[in-house]
Amino acid sequence: MPPGGRKPKLPPTFAALSPFARSIIFTAASASAKRPPRPHAAAAETPRQGQDDMPRQPPKRARRAEPSSDDEEEEERGSSESEDEEEEEDSFGTSESDGDGDGESSEELETVQADFAFFDPKPTDFHGVRLLLKTYLDSKPWDLTGFVDIILAQTTVGTVVKLADDDDDHDHHQGQGNGAADKKNSNDDDDLFGLISVLSLGRYAEHRCIKDIKEYLLSVCADKDAKKQLRSLLEGKASSVGLLVCRRFVNFPYELLPKLYDALFDEVSWATEDEPTKELQDSFRFKHYLLVVRMLERKTPAKHKSKSIKDDDDDEPVIYPKLEDEIFHELSSWSFTFPIRSEQSAQQEMKNYKEMGLVMAIKAEAIPKFRKKLEALVSE
Amino acid sequence: MATRIQFENNCEVGVFSKLTNAYCLVAIGGSENFYSAFEAELADAIPVVKTSIGGTRIIGRLCVGNKNGLLLPHTTTDQELQHLRNSLPDQVVVQRIDERLSALGNCIACNDHVALTHPDLDKETEEFIADVLGVEVFRQTIAGNILVGSYCAFSNRGGLVHPHTSIEDLDELSTLLQVPLVAGTVNRGSEVIAAGMTVNDWTAFCGSDTTATELSVIESVFKLREGQPTAIVDDMRKSLIDSYV
Repeated sequence: MPPGGRKPKLPPTFAALSPFARSIIFTAASASAKRPPRPHAAAAETPRQGQDDMPRQPPKRARRAEPSSDDEEEEERGSSESEDEEEEEDSFGTSESDGDGDGESSEELETVQADFAFFDPKPTDFHGVRLLLKTYLDSKPWDLTGFVDIILAQTTVGTVVKLADDDDDHDHHQGQGNGAADKKNSNDDDDLFGLISVLSLGRYAEHRCIKDIKEYLLSVCADKDAKKQLRSLLEGKASSVGLLVCRRFVNFPYELLPKLYDALFDEVSWATEDEPTKELQDSFRFKHYLLVVRMLERKTPAKHKSKSIKDDDDDEPVIYPKLEDEIFHELSSWSFTFPIRSEQSAQQEMKNYKEMGLVMAIKAEAIPKFRKKLEALVSE
Repeated sequence: MATRIQFENNCEVGVFSKLTNAYCLVAIGGSENFYSAFEAELADAIPVVKTSIGGTRIIGRLCVGNKNGLLLPHTTTDQELQHLRNSLPDQVVVQRIDERLSALGNCIACNDHVALTHPDLDKETEEFIADVLGVEVFRQTIAGNILVGSYCAFSNRGGLVHPHTSIEDLDELSTLLQVPLVAGTVNRGSEVIAAGMTVNDWTAFCGSDTTATELSVIESVFKLREGQPTAIVDDMRKSLIDSYV
């Protein structure tokens, strides 16, 4: 088996897992076979890259290959290999908190090797992006399709995260000889792990999806002061407001986050110079960013005494499913929360919490601070 | 006529509904829009029944039925079973079966005469299908997929199958089912046909992401366009000429 052919084949059920899927199940190659081919695989991949001239380091424990900072390539690629922290030898018999062993092996947890890469949004990403955005607003019908379309159309600013091999032309794929390769290509296009983009509320003001979002946010805002601020951002100052959309699967590796946000903010600043018309350039000069995210708020504990003391003390008042939301919330100029009507996830550890929506606005000047804090948080 | 609808921002309408020539089942959803869409089209012809199966909303994938009967998985509760027996017409036999593969809608596709089933279905279940639904049963795969109920949707007049189905497979299936088949997609390129749409002999409901091209393919293969006289005459003309020659 050629060293380049070590990529695990995703089972077809993977595409159907909800964003709240707890584990990725891969049929990994045997532990011993995995280590040696890695450097070869890295070398084998380089000639396939074509226009991509940045070197891929032998990715044993490497966190990332540095993206070319000055070239404006069509496809910005940063890749990072995410490995399970455990050694493969130790994984036997260990039970992780979310390793409920569904699928083939229940006692043995296998290490998962995954190469993530960043790509520009393409029209073929439609279904993957739609899946990620399904719970963006509440269950009330809105123009989600239109929203996905404008995100995919904006190729200059915006990144989708997929597995590293996905976009490669299979003609160049050496020696795979896999009859199923074609099928794999079309299936993998839907396996989006994450998405980040920012949409100018001024540029897209006439689109139905943006109007739906504005209407929705104004309708759920209960706080009078926040509503005033919200209205001014949505109406008067819309041309300098960017709606920052970041959606990803729950098990997305947090090490990639600084890179993801760096990619976005770098693209925004490049766009202010590179866009073909002045109007478009100005549309990316954001003074404010608006975020619509979810958070978990602790329900008022009904039985305060009967629970053991440690439960109450350890419960955080607020849990942020996406860790950077906590930083954003700290740095926000204003924010408000609103209740979510759609079905709550019924998990044991989360039963004391209810899901709320959180809307916050950040000044563009606070972004460098955010980037530093995110980097610090992730490297802890 | 084919209508585009959504279930709470979800275009997989075949998951939340089950449409046959004698009745229509609809999931209980947050907003009434879904139910009203079905009511508007079907109310004067067949009963539209709101239900859950096993407490879930994915009723289209859990049950299978036609004008003769309805098969429910073992996860159906007694109340749900009773509710369905009460609400459906008397000639429809409602039966709960004990099958390991409990997502019957994913494993079985049928019209009023023929059924295609998952190759691993129990023999007992196959007998139930033949008795309750009054159909001839064939174990088949579609484009290499064993979940035949998910990757094809067919009525008594036509059928739509997974886009990667080969010509040979299409011919073979078409002979088995005795209806014209076409390989296509629904909901803007989704291959899971039966999840994206639901159909009976005179109407179809598709997810709102379905493109105009997909919709026209659906309308033509299921013969849903308002019977234009010319279409009928063309069909007759072919048979007339045949008998002449």
